[in-house]
Amino acid sequence: MVIEALRIWAMIGAAVAAVFLTFGMDRIDEDAQGAYVFRPLLIPGVLAIWPLVLWRWYLWESSAEPWERRFAPPRAAHLFVGWLMPLVICAIILTGLSVRQIWPADIAPVQIEPAAEVDG
Amino acid sequence: MSVKYIPVQWNTNKYFYDAIMLAGVCAFLYVFLYLTPDLLSHERPINRQIHNARAFGACAFVMLTVILCIGPLARLHPAFLPLLYNRRHFGVMTLFVALTHAAYILDWYYAFSSTSKFAGVFLANTSYGQIAGFPFEIFGVFSLTVLFILAATSHDFWLKFLSPPVWKRIHYLIYPAYVSVVAHVSLGILQDQQNHSFTAIFIGGALIVGVLHLWAALVERKRANQIRSEAAEWIPVCNVADMKDGFAKIKLLPDGKRVAVYLNGGQLSAISNACAHQNGPLGEGRVIDCLVTCPWHGFQYDVTNGRSPAPFTEKVPTYNLKLDRGEVFVQAKANAPGTYVQPIPATGGQEVSA
Repeated sequence: MVIEALRIWAMIGAAVAAVFLTFGMDRIDEDAQGAYVFRPLLIPGVLAIWPLVLWRWYLWESSAEPWERRFAPPRAAHLFVGWLMPLVICAIILTGLSVRQIWPADIAPVQIEPAAEVDG
Repeated sequence: MSVKYIPVQWNTNKYFYDAIMLAGVCAFLYVFLYLTPDLLSHERPINRQIHNARAFGACAFVMLTVILCIGPLARLHPAFLPLLYNRRHFGVMTLFVALTHAAYILDWYYAFSSTSKFAGVFLANTSYGQIAGFPFEIFGVFSLTVLFILAATSHDFWLKFLSPPVWKRIHYLIYPAYVSVVAHVSLGILQDQQNHSFTAIFIGGALIVGVLHLWAALVERKRANQIRSEAAEWIPVCNVADMKDGFAKIKLLPDGKRVAVYLNGGQLSAISNACAHQNGPLGEGRVIDCLVTCPWHGFQYDVTNGRSPAPFTEKVPTYNLKLDRGEVFVQAKANAPGTYVQPIPATGGQEVSA
């Protein structure tokens, strides 16, 4: 099911890529006009995030995005990540170590039952 | 960029960066495969496929660890900024190393699966309800997917098209991806290690990433508190006597944005601290010939109008300034990107630029 869902996602993405890379990007980005060699490099990205591509394409076409947003880096995430990531990393490693089963390699094996008779 | 896009923008520095990175990958793989079997506890003759898979997997983990260290290191000290310069190439290379690891795994452990190899990854172990024996492969799949998305959206076109803040938010996926890799290793190969060297290297690397991020976050919060301002139309920045020619003072405005106020040849100008390319800290750059250079990737802007020199067309917002008895004030509301603002002399009584 996951594989099938990915296949459908990629097929829609391919359709979006075909239209956007041959037609759409020339309308919204002057730096792309007349530049074609780099476009195949963008195909995997469009396949991966095509809903976002469509949304951004709409924003460019409609000029609906305030310019201020382009200059507001999400720096607050650094503090959130700075606290959370070390805690989660420690928790995961401790969990991994706690369930680790150590094979007693230095103990000689002991046969606890006599060998069963085996008919030849 | 403001010239025509090309597939990969290489220059001498980037060739140098990439050559060192490639040499590092080759050296790591050689050491792992041929020089340190005792250290990493694979001295027993496992087959070549598994040996290669472990080598590329370990290499991808180390590369990701280094990548994750670059950001906080660059925030802590400018000496590490050159490492930031070409980090996207580093990330793309990491994807290829991780893909090689995944290919070896698929072609060995799932080669004879009754379903397709890819479906086998999801179906071979479904014990999601327990920690011991948890299908750790799923963490690797998640991380690999994130690495693919980040590499696929690494071209400069994406930065401009998505906008730097949106692009940055997408690329923050690297944090859950790294945590996922830690889980992939902790519940995977770590369960099977008899030699403590590997365990120490893995835990040490992961903890360095965690500690560096915490350290950088605390330092950044301290800096932010020092430059924070109260809501007002005109925000006090500093005394002009505290400014150094060619450099900026950065102020955190009430709306959360940062402004860089420059003293340039005895004149004061102010532009947004966020570069139009990746929102790099323009206020940490130096002004030469009226142009400030972003310390991250070298984009340049005229500090009087926020425009890149021709043929480039990037623009950043500018700000109005006033000088009152030696105190520099900046107007909280920014001008539209590329708006020229007459610089004000750094000496004298009351001056206003607009």
